[in-house]
Amino acid sequence: MTVVSLHSRGALRTKGHLDDGPGQDFDQNPRIDNDKDMALGQDDHARFARLVLPHLGDAYSLARWITGNRADAEDVVQDACLRAFRAIGGVGDGSARPWVLTVVRNTAYTWLRKNRPSAILAVEDLQVVETANAKAGDPDSETPETALIARADAASLQAAIMALPTAYRETMILRDVQGLSYREIGEVTGVPIGTVMSRLARGRNQVIKAIGRTES
Amino acid sequence: MTRPLIYEDSTLPIHAYLDGELDPTNALAVEKRMATDPALAAECERVEALQCLMREHLPREAPPPGLRMRVETAVGMRRPRAQLSHAQFSWRALAASIAVTAVVASGATSMLRAPSRTDLVRDGIVDAHIRSLMASQPIDVASSDRHTVKPWFNGRIPQAPRVVDLAKEDFPLVGGRIDVVGELPVPTLVYGHRKHLISLTAIPAPGRANSAPVPRTVDGYNMYRWVEDGVAYWAVSDVAAADLDKFSELFRTTPPDQ
Repeated sequence: MTVVSLHSRGALRTKGHLDDGPGQDFDQNPRIDNDKDMALGQDDHARFARLVLPHLGDAYSLARWITGNRADAEDVVQDACLRAFRAIGGVGDGSARPWVLTVVRNTAYTWLRKNRPSAILAVEDLQVVETANAKAGDPDSETPETALIARADAASLQAAIMALPTAYRETMILRDVQGLSYREIGEVTGVPIGTVMSRLARGRNQVIKAIGRTES
Repeated sequence: MTRPLIYEDSTLPIHAYLDGELDPTNALAVEKRMATDPALAAECERVEALQCLMREHLPREAPPPGLRMRVETAVGMRRPRAQLSHAQFSWRALAASIAVTAVVASGATSMLRAPSRTDLVRDGIVDAHIRSLMASQPIDVASSDRHTVKPWFNGRIPQAPRVVDLAKEDFPLVGGRIDVVGELPVPTLVYGHRKHLISLTAIPAPGRANSAPVPRTVDGYNMYRWVEDGVAYWAVSDVAAADLDKFSELFRTTPPDQ
């Protein structure tokens, strides 16, 4: 049995008999909507329901990994959905998911810049990090054994991913949690496929080493 | 030893290989290199183990409860409602608080503009449809046979609804459920149409004159209402208005015993 209409229980106190109301109220007094206005809004809402709402889980997950916080992620998703809704008319049906994730990502970064400027690594800083990592060649850092990685628990895995620079983190989440292709990740994060590949490799290497340090 | 120029890091192609992003020629080249390079093979194993670990511990997830409603309200698909406006709420907690809310609200209603009963019934029916789409089962009895669905209602509610077979017209019967609108349990038939569901609720309306289907949009859902033989029918769905119009017309004009 499905219980409904909770919000109106106080106001609706018919006992045992439910008349469905004066018909003319419904039939002749269209105050619910104005047909002309609704024709447009209805179409946008239908598109929004079809293109955006199915990806709410992925949107929330990406926002949470970027902001690092559940409540912030919900705010970001709501804001992103509003932006997506305003742009819904110009979106093709074929590639809704990468588009939704792009809007969420951009909204999350705007949010971070405004509320947590310290959490964002500027692009120049990231290039320094990337160059340093590339030149290091990993001679000194120990790489853990495969069995050690497989034993790691959820908490140390999450901590290791959270410790990554945002650019590596989002790339890993888009690939390994949400299953996007390199091309789609490139679209969402606005970088060439080669950069997607190197960020993925470096992000994974750092996580593997971090797990090795905590597990050993 | 020569390295491909495009990779400054010899382990880079491992990742593209494991992600299925290499064409067969390059994938074969990676496999050959791993066969002769134990360090590379070990690196490949580690990355694979990490991917397994992430799949195990970080599955794709559903949005938290309440977020969808919050988003739908934000874009105007759903009118804001005082009791449901906060994102953090669970149906279970809400159910537990109904009794208290009803008592408190009954004292306060005299101060509010009383919405018409039609509004409340309409909202209740749309809520029931939305709720059914969120539940694991949109129906209480699953059957495409009207001779199974109709008797199921007998004994549960005073009057079983009229059930017609519209499978030939691409509106197959999916089943039925009982919704509670206001305080009255009412029968709802569920029909399918191209992966969408149509909820058709029948509410006793003794003495009301017959009327033709009238379309409306509520919370982004299309809705048709008509009265026939002392019963008010409410059809609600996310199918296109034209499809719901066709459904309403077919339901009205198809005799039950055919």
